[in-house]
Amino acid sequence: MLYLLMAVPLLFAAVIATRPPEHARWIALVGSFVALGVTLFAMLQFSYAFGGSTQLEAHTPWIPALGVTLDVGVDSVSLLLIALTALLGPICVLASWTAITWQQRTYYAWLLILQTAMVGVFAARDLIFFYVCFEFTLIPMYVLISLFGSTNRKKAATKFFLYTFTGSIVALAGLIYVAWWHARGAGEWTFAIATLGETARQMPLSVQMPVMIAMLLGFAVKVPLFPVHTWLPLAHTEAPTAGSVILAGVLLKLGTYGIYRFVLPFVPEAVAVAAPTIAVLSIIGIVYAGLICWVQTDVKKLVAYSSVSHLGFCVIGLFALNHVGISGSVMYMINHGLSTGALFLLIGMAYERYHTRSMKELGGLAAKMPVWATFMVFFAMASVALPGLNGFVSEFMCMMGVFQADDAWAAAAGSAAQVPGSTPGPLGPWFALAAGTGVIIGAMYVLYMVGKVCFGPLVEPAGHDQHAHGDGHEGDHHLPADLTPREIWTLLPLAAGCLVLGLYPSPVLDTIEPSVSNIVSLYDDRVELPAMMPTGDTDAPADRPAEVMP
Amino acid sequence: MLMHSAVQNAAEAVVGGAVSAADAARAFALPEVTEGPWWVALIPFLPLLGAALCGLCAAFKVKSKLPAWITVALLATSFAITVAMFQQLSGGASISHAFRWIEFRWGPEADQIFTANFSFYADNLSILWMLFVTGLATLIALYASEYMSHEVGTGYCRFFAAFCLFVFSMSCLVLGDNLILLFLGWEGVGLCSYLLIGYYYKKPSAVAAAKKAFIMNRIGDLGLLMGIFLTFVHFGTVEYRELFALAEPYVLALQQGRIGDIPAIVNLIPVLLAIGAFGKSAQFPLYVWLPDAMEGPTPVSALIHAATMVTAGVYLIARTYPLFLASDIALPLVAWVGAITALLAATIGMAQFDIKRIMAYSTVSQLGFMFCGLAVLTTAGGVFHVLTHAFFKATLFLACGAVMHGFAGQLDLRKLSGVMFMPGWLIVGLAMLVGCLNLAGFPFTAGYFSKDLILAEAFITPTMAPIGWILLFTAGLTAYYTFRVFFRVFVGPKEFHPGDDAHGEAETDVEEHSEQVEQGNPQAEAVGEKAHDVGDEAHGADEAEDHEHGHGHFHPHPPGWAINTVLATLALASILAAGLYFIGDKGWVDGMLQSSTAQQVYLTQEGTRASGYALVTAEPAAKGTFLGFDPHKAMYYVSAVVGLIGIGVAFVLHYLGRTEAATSRADKLLPAMGPIATWAQDKWRVDELYDMVIVKPLRVISHIFHVIDKLIVDGLVNLFGVLPRMIGSALRPVQSGQLQGYAVGMAVGLAFVLLVVVLMAVAGAGVAS
Repeated sequence: MLYLLMAVPLLFAAVIATRPPEHARWIALVGSFVALGVTLFAMLQFSYAFGGSTQLEAHTPWIPALGVTLDVGVDSVSLLLIALTALLGPICVLASWTAITWQQRTYYAWLLILQTAMVGVFAARDLIFFYVCFEFTLIPMYVLISLFGSTNRKKAATKFFLYTFTGSIVALAGLIYVAWWHARGAGEWTFAIATLGETARQMPLSVQMPVMIAMLLGFAVKVPLFPVHTWLPLAHTEAPTAGSVILAGVLLKLGTYGIYRFVLPFVPEAVAVAAPTIAVLSIIGIVYAGLICWVQTDVKKLVAYSSVSHLGFCVIGLFALNHVGISGSVMYMINHGLSTGALFLLIGMAYERYHTRSMKELGGLAAKMPVWATFMVFFAMASVALPGLNGFVSEFMCMMGVFQADDAWAAAAGSAAQVPGSTPGPLGPWFALAAGTGVIIGAMYVLYMVGKVCFGPLVEPAGHDQHAHGDGHEGDHHLPADLTPREIWTLLPLAAGCLVLGLYPSPVLDTIEPSVSNIVSLYDDRVELPAMMPTGDTDAPADRPAEVMP
Repeated sequence: MLMHSAVQNAAEAVVGGAVSAADAARAFALPEVTEGPWWVALIPFLPLLGAALCGLCAAFKVKSKLPAWITVALLATSFAITVAMFQQLSGGASISHAFRWIEFRWGPEADQIFTANFSFYADNLSILWMLFVTGLATLIALYASEYMSHEVGTGYCRFFAAFCLFVFSMSCLVLGDNLILLFLGWEGVGLCSYLLIGYYYKKPSAVAAAKKAFIMNRIGDLGLLMGIFLTFVHFGTVEYRELFALAEPYVLALQQGRIGDIPAIVNLIPVLLAIGAFGKSAQFPLYVWLPDAMEGPTPVSALIHAATMVTAGVYLIARTYPLFLASDIALPLVAWVGAITALLAATIGMAQFDIKRIMAYSTVSQLGFMFCGLAVLTTAGGVFHVLTHAFFKATLFLACGAVMHGFAGQLDLRKLSGVMFMPGWLIVGLAMLVGCLNLAGFPFTAGYFSKDLILAEAFITPTMAPIGWILLFTAGLTAYYTFRVFFRVFVGPKEFHPGDDAHGEAETDVEEHSEQVEQGNPQAEAVGEKAHDVGDEAHGADEAEDHEHGHGHFHPHPPGWAINTVLATLALASILAAGLYFIGDKGWVDGMLQSSTAQQVYLTQEGTRASGYALVTAEPAAKGTFLGFDPHKAMYYVSAVVGLIGIGVAFVLHYLGRTEAATSRADKLLPAMGPIATWAQDKWRVDELYDMVIVKPLRVISHIFHVIDKLIVDGLVNLFGVLPRMIGSALRPVQSGQLQGYAVGMAVGLAFVLLVVVLMAVAGAGVAS
C-alpha cells in the first residue's frame, strides 16, 4: 500500500517525461489526485485504535549484507503527515497552473518526484531508507528553486542545498553511530528504526549526548531552529509558489518529524537534560524571527520568517516532553502546513498579478481583490492562532504543555496530586510566558502585513495597468483582477481544513494520541521518580536525569 | 463529565480538614447544576448561521438590504430563546452540551483529562448578560440597517457578517461552560472588533486603530491565557462547575482568616485573569485602544465598544468571582486600577472636542466604575451598572451616530449647536438628554441608582474608602463633561458646519444626500438659519452642483424611522431600567445574582492580614461609614448633589451667554489652567509615551535583529559555505550550469555517505569479530 503510494507520483512523473509539455500539468493533476485517492484508501485501511503501532507494513530487503531494507510502515502521526503531503499535492499543481510557462515537463515531473520522496520519509521504517528519502527531497527542491525561482534563485538554491545537506550528514553520522553501537552489541547490522531505538535507549548518557547533538543539528537545520535558520527566508523568497508551499507545508516538518521519530524516542535521557537549552533556542527563534517579520518589506520574506517563529512553538512543544505539548506540536505540524501554505499561495497569486512582493508597491488590495483579501484575513487569523481556527488548538496545547511541564509544581505543592494539571518536566511557566510573547508579536507582524497589503489606500506597482492590458510578457496571463475559480478551489480545501481542525480537532487529537503516548511513556517512567520524592529540589531539574542514571 | 478523583483529592489535601468543616459552613452556595435544554446552543449558533448567510450574500453580491434583515431576524430569535431560557431558569445553573471541542487524556493510566467542550453554562449571571447582549444587538442591527444604507452593495454584507460573528463570539464568551470557550469568544470578539473598527479599510487611521485594538487586547489576552494555564495546573480543570467547587474551600479559608492555607498560585490566578480583563475592558494601562476604536461605524461603537464587548472584562471577573474571592490581592488591585482609570479617562474626556471620543472616554471611565463595583464586593452594583450603562451608553452613541450621519461626519462640538431644535431632530435630542441624565447620575435615573450602589459600597467596604472618594469626584467630572456635550451641541443657538466625511462614512453619502435634496425634502430645506458655507471646498462644490435650490448650503438629513425607533426604544429602556432597582429587596439584579456564583459577600473589619481582608456572607453589623452616616442613605443625597454641581458648571460654562457654536465661557478659563488643559487635550500624552518607550525601541531592536540576521548569522554560514565551494570549484573545471551544480553536490554527498557507511561497516565488522 505504502509502496503504491510512493510509486504513483513516480509513475506519473515518468508519464510526463514521455508526453508533450502542454499535457504535463494535466498529467500531474491526475497523478496527484490519484495519490490523494490512494492516501485516503490507506487511511481507511488504518486501524486507529492501534495508532501507536506500526501498520500497513511491508518488507523488502535492499542490502542484506548490512541489514539495510526498504521497510515501510506508518503509525498515526506518519499517516497524518502523509495525508497532509497528499492534500498539498493537487493544490501545488493547481497553484502552478498558469505561473509556470516554461519547461513544464521538468517542473511537474520534479514536483511529483518530490512527493514520492516526502512520502518515503514519513513511511520509511529503515534508517538508511529514511535517510535516502530525506536527502532525496533536496534534489527536486533544488531544481524547483534554481530553475523556476525568482531573481536570486541560484544563490538561494545552492545555499538551501549545502546548508541542509551539511546538516543532515551530521544527523546521519549520529544515527549511524547508533547502528554501529547496535552492531557492536548484537553482532549484526540492522537499520530497523524500532530496533535501533531500543538500543539507543540503553546507551549511557555520555553516549546519548553526542548522538543527540548530532541528530539535533541535522534536524534543527531542517526545522529550522534559531540560529541555523538563515537558509529559509532566502529559499522561501526565491522559490516558486508551489515550492514555498511544499517547503513550508511539508519539508520543514521533516525536521520536526525527525525530532519526533528519532531524537525523542532514541535518547530520552539526553533530551531531558538538553530540553531547557532547546527551549531557550526555540523561544529566541520565536521572538527574534517574529520581530524581524515586523520590519520586513517583502511580504513573502515576512511569511518565511514567520515560519521560523511558528516552528519555534512546534519545537518547544515537543520538548515539553509531556502529552499535551507533544500532541500540540504534532497538531502544529499539520496546522502550520495548512495556514502558512495557504498564505504562500495567496502571496503567489498576488505576485502573478503584480510581479512584486514589496509592501511598498502593494497596498489596499481589498479594494481590487475582495475575495483574495477575505482569504488573506482568514489565513492570517489562522496563523495568529485565533481560537476557532486550527492554529489556536495547536499553539494553545504547545504552550500549555510547556507551562505544565515543571517539576517545581509538584515540589512547591508538596506532591503532584495537589497540582493535578501539572506534569513533571524540565520547562515551566516562565518558558511558556516567554514563548507567549510570540503570540503578541505574531499579532503585530501579521496585522502589519494585512494592514499594509489588504487595507489602506490602494497601491499598485507603477505601470501595472499597462502590464495587465498590454500584450503579455512572460508569466502574464491576463488574469482577472480578483481570484479565478481555479484559485479559489485551491484555497477552499485549506480553509475548510483550518476551520474543521479549529472547531472539531477531537478526531485528530484522538488519532495522534496513541503514537504520542508511546513517546511520553518513555519519559514518564523516568521523571516520575523525583516527583515522588517528598522534598524535590526545585532549582535543578536539568540535573535530575543524570542522578537517575546508574 | 464526572469530577475527577485526583481533582477532588487535591482540593481535600490542600485545605486539609477544612473540607469537612465546609459541610457545615459553605463559603457560598454552589448552584445546583442540571442538564440544560439543547436549544440553548441556538443562542450562539443562530448568529453564526447569520454570519454564514451574510457571507453567502457577499459571495453572491447581493445588492439589497437582505443581510440586514437576516441579521435582525436571527438575532431577534436568539433574543427570544434567551428570554425563554430566562423564564425556565429558576436559580440553578444548567449546562447544555453541544459537541466535543478540545479534549484529551494523558498520564500513565490515561486518568488525567483536559476538557474544553462546546457546552453552554446558563445561570442567572450569564443569562442576564445574554439578555442585554442579544436584545441590544437586535436593536442596533435594526439601526444599522438604515445607518449603513449607503454601503448597500459594497460593504453591507461584510458589515453584517462581522456583526453576526460578533454576537456569536460574545455568546460563546458569556455562555461557555469553561475558560477555553470563554477564551474563544474573547479572541473572537477581538477579531470582530478588529474587522469592524477597520471597516472603512481604505482609511489608514481606521486600519491603524483596528490594529492597535487587536494588539492591545492580545497583551491582556496573554495574561488571561497564563491565568487559564495556571488554573488548569492548580485545579486540574477549566470547567466552571468543577472549578467553583474546587475554589470554594479557599474562599472559606479566607473567610475564616486562614490565609496561610491559600497557596501563592491561587492568589496569583485572579491577578492574571484580571490582566486579561483590563485589556478587553480598556482599563489602565491598556485603555488607549478604545478611544481610537471610534474609527469604526457608530453602530459598532455602540454595540461593541460601549455596551457589550468592553464589558467582557467585567463579566470575566463576575464569572470567576469565586476565584477572585479566594485571593486577597486581586480585588484590591482591580479596585485601584478601576478607580485610576475612571479618574484618568474622565479628565481626558473633559478636554476633548470630538463628541464620539468624549463618549469613548466616558465608557472607559464608567468601566472603571464597574470594576470598582466588583472590587468593593458589590457584584450587584457592578453588574447593575453594566446593565444600565449598556442601555444609556448605546443611546448616547446612537444619538451621536445620528448626528454624525446627518451632518456629514461632523463630530466637533465647536461646530454644532442647537441640533435638538432643528426640524426632525427632536427624538435624537431627547434620547441624548435621557442618555446624558443617566450618565451624569441625575437623581432617579437608572445610572444614578447603579452608580450609588457602587459608591455606597465603596465606603462600606473597609480599606476601600479612598476608592469611594475618587469615584465620587469622578462622578462630578462625569456630569460636567456629559452636559458639556449636551449644552453645546443640542441646545443653544442653531448653527452647524457639516463635516468633511472625515470618518469615511459618507463617500456615497454625498450622492444620497443630494438625492434627498432633489426630491425637495422640506425638512432639509427648512433648516439652516445660520448654516455656514461648507468648510470643505470639494464637498461644497459637489453639493452646489447637485441641487438647485440650496445656493451652496449644506442640508443635514434627519434620521429616518429605523434610527428614530431604535433611539426611542433605547431611551425608554434606559428610563425603565431605573425601575429594576425597586424590584425585590435590594434590586432585581441583586436578586438574580444571589443564586449565581457572583453573589454579594461582605468584608469585615477584623482581618488577619495587614490588608484586613476577610469575607463574610452576612451583612456585618459594623459597617464602614460615609463621614459618620450610613453610606447607602447618604449617597442618595451626596451623589445627587455632586451630579447637579457638575451639570450646573457645564450649564454656566457652556450654555449661558453662548451665542455661537465655537466659543463659550469655558474658553476664557483655559489660559488660567496653563498646560494642564493642553495636556488633557493631548490625552496626557500616554500614546506618545507608549510609542516612545515601547514601540520605537522595539522597532529599533527589530531592525537590528534584521541586520544581524542578514550579516552575522547568515554571513558566518556563508563563510563556512565558501570552503566547500572552493573545493567544489577546484573539482570541476567546467563553469557550472544549474544541473552540474546539484549533480556535483549530490555526487560529493553520496560519496561521503558511502564513505561513512563503509567505514562504519568496517568498524562494525572489527567489533563483531
